[in-house]
Amino acid sequence: MAATHDMNEKPAFYTIKKADFGKFFESLTRKYKVFAPVEAGDEHNFRQVKTVSEMKLGNYVNVEFPPKKFLHPNGLLMMEFAGSRVRQRAKTGKIALFGVRPCDTHALDVLDRVMTDGYVDAYYKKARGSTLILALNCKSAGDECFCGSMGTDKAIGFDLLFTETGNGFHVEVGSEKGHSLVNNKLFRKTGSPAAKAKLVFRKQINTENLEEVMRSSFSSEFWDETAKRCLSCASCTSVCPTCYCFDVHHDAEPSEKGIEKVNISRTWNYCMLQPFTRVAGGEVTRESRTERVKQFFYHKLLYGKENQGKLHCVGCGRCIRECMTKIDITEEAAKARSEYESKK
Amino acid sequence: MRAKNDFEPKIAEITAVKKECSDIYTFSCRLRNKKDKIEFQPGQFVEVAVFGVGEVPISISSSPLEKHNFDVTVKKAGSVTEALFKMKKGGLIGIRGPYGNWYPMDSFKGRNIVVVAGGVGIAPLSPVVEHIIAHRQEYGKVWLLYGTHCPENAIFNARMNRWSKNGIESIATVTKTCDMKWNGEVGHVEPMFEKHGIKADVAICCGPPRMLKDIYVEFNKMGIKDGDIYFSLERMMQCGIGKCGHCNIGRKYVCMDGPVFRKDELNELTEKIWK
Ligand SMILES: Cc1cc2nc3c(=O)[nH]c(=O)nc-3n(C[C@H](O)[C@H](O)[C@H](O)COP(=O)(O)OP(=O)(O)OC[C@H]3O[C@@H](n4cnc5c(N)ncnc54)[C@H](O)[C@@H]3O)c2cc1C
Ligand code: SF4
Ligand code: SF4
Ligand code: FES
Repeated sequence: MAATHDMNEKPAFYTIKKADFGKFFESLTRKYKVFAPVEAGDEHNFRQVKTVSEMKLGNYVNVEFPPKKFLHPNGLLMMEFAGSRVRQRAKTGKIALFGVRPCDTHALDVLDRVMTDGYVDAYYKKARGSTLILALNCKSAGDECFCGSMGTDKAIGFDLLFTETGNGFHVEVGSEKGHSLVNNKLFRKTGSPAAKAKLVFRKQINTENLEEVMRSSFSSEFWDETAKRCLSCASCTSVCPTCYCFDVHHDAEPSEKGIEKVNISRTWNYCMLQPFTRVAGGEVTRESRTERVKQFFYHKLLYGKENQGKLHCVGCGRCIRECMTKIDITEEAAKARSEYESKK
Repeated sequence: MRAKNDFEPKIAEITAVKKECSDIYTFSCRLRNKKDKIEFQPGQFVEVAVFGVGEVPISISSSPLEKHNFDVTVKKAGSVTEALFKMKKGGLIGIRGPYGNWYPMDSFKGRNIVVVAGGVGIAPLSPVVEHIIAHRQEYGKVWLLYGTHCPENAIFNARMNRWSKNGIESIATVTKTCDMKWNGEVGHVEPMFEKHGIKADVAICCGPPRMLKDIYVEFNKMGIKDGDIYFSLERMMQCGIGKCGHCNIGRKYVCMDGPVFRKDELNELTEKIWK
């Protein structure tokens, strides 16, 4: 995991010119599979790129699908059982993600906490260790963004943090690996931190005593109203950068020698879907949509803080953008607060 | 028994299959690698893999004193358990664990305990009783109250007899005799408290949700405090190690914080265990 840089030891700030950035990118692709935002239709997504010209930032706000897919891939083949032995099968290559937004660096911090708290998820840990995080500061906030109110607008846990300047980038080093990347003629030391763009947010969540607010409104009736609008489509959970829930599958596959081979893999699953809590015999713990909607919002706005010491909502706004019936986590949090205030 | 990769099962061999009744079998298992031990506390579970079908959480039903062999007592309930029922002696399964918390047996010392089991819920409670018997002098009066539907489903008869002889007042009750020979009680478990003069300070219970709810009323009547009531809970599980996100009740994870919960802890959670 990317360690935070000790600023007292080495200069943490560099600049790189636009022309040199292309060279840096090329040197990167020799060692890593590099993924960067590419504009397609209305959305940006991480695509593998070979040269900097393939990256299409345009009016880049954030990628539609967050970085979690590289570290906790949907459909990961974990193991194989054959001939009375289990073998590990997950393949991890060295990858570099360029253009990770500050909110998503916090989402990675959430995933780090979940995946290494107690038992360590060996697959996640390995993938995380071989992934370079090249974060990129925002120039403007998207319509649904609210990182400003969540304390997630300042990137953390990156190897390098880029900030666009007129003629190139300002670069902040955040890890040992990051140091080795800038230790060449393309980068020039500078004493000052980047001038950060002033972002204007249209949405926010008031996080002051949010735990108390959420606890006090668990039985509030407004959740039923929200649930009536919810379609249980799970789009919100599939794009959320901190959603990690999964199922484990066994698939038998006969091989040439007649020895049965079993592939053991995992796929993402979502609490918004009814079968998520269905046990043998057909009983479903969260049968009603209200219970499922609450599970999502409470995991994001309460349980994460209680369990991992950090809210699981990083204010990326993806769930708001994706929801066909315009269910909005900032509005739900505001309803919880007004219930709380009215009970005082 | 902690592997480098906590998702990787250890291979175990089925050494015996015992039919307890038509839909409950006990599988005795031994880990393939002789160096591997399975040390567990009463109430813990393992993840059992039937390769090619899937993995299920199952409580260990044998005595915690045994370190190399262990039993799981399984009710046929769906795809994985059905596949397990087709396996024979010598068959290979995968085992991960033991996982979860356990009954704090030391904190029960000197107290009168009632152990209530419903259906296959007798499985995780069996190690509890074995532990008490192994340290019989350290505990007060102990009752085991076990309820099932029909005499056909009443398992562990031999164990119950042995427990009775070793200072555990063991009471089995069926809701219907189903036209079978039956020496035990008939009726639900709740009236048995009065009938057998059960007066406990600590209650331990594992069974279907409905039963937990009904029995809780009885515990209250007896004056047992929520801080002395222990429930073993069941939730959908896909990992057993706090990663898959399936098993939570509010902020708590049944696989990691449970499966054993004190009632007063459950009262603090946003989600409730029964509606
Ligand atoms: C802590 C714990 C201890 C348990 N101990 C025992 C025991 O000692 N004996 C026993 O017979 N049963 C026990 N169960 C219940 C047992 O896990 C389920 O009956 C079993 O998972 C059903 O799987 P299936 O594939 O046969 O059914 P399906 O309905 O086909 O289930 C599909 C999958 O869903 C999951 N699942 C379904 N039901 C449950 C459930 N109730 N709990 C958790 N996951 C579930 C499993 O991963 C399973 O592979 C325990 C459950 C828990 C949570
Ligand atoms: S995206 Fe909207 S409609 Fe779909 S499950 Fe989420 S809240 Fe419900
Ligand atoms: S809950 Fe919504 S806004 Fe918060 S991190 Fe997840 S997708 Fe982003
Ligand atoms: S079973 Fe996966 S988190 Fe509890």
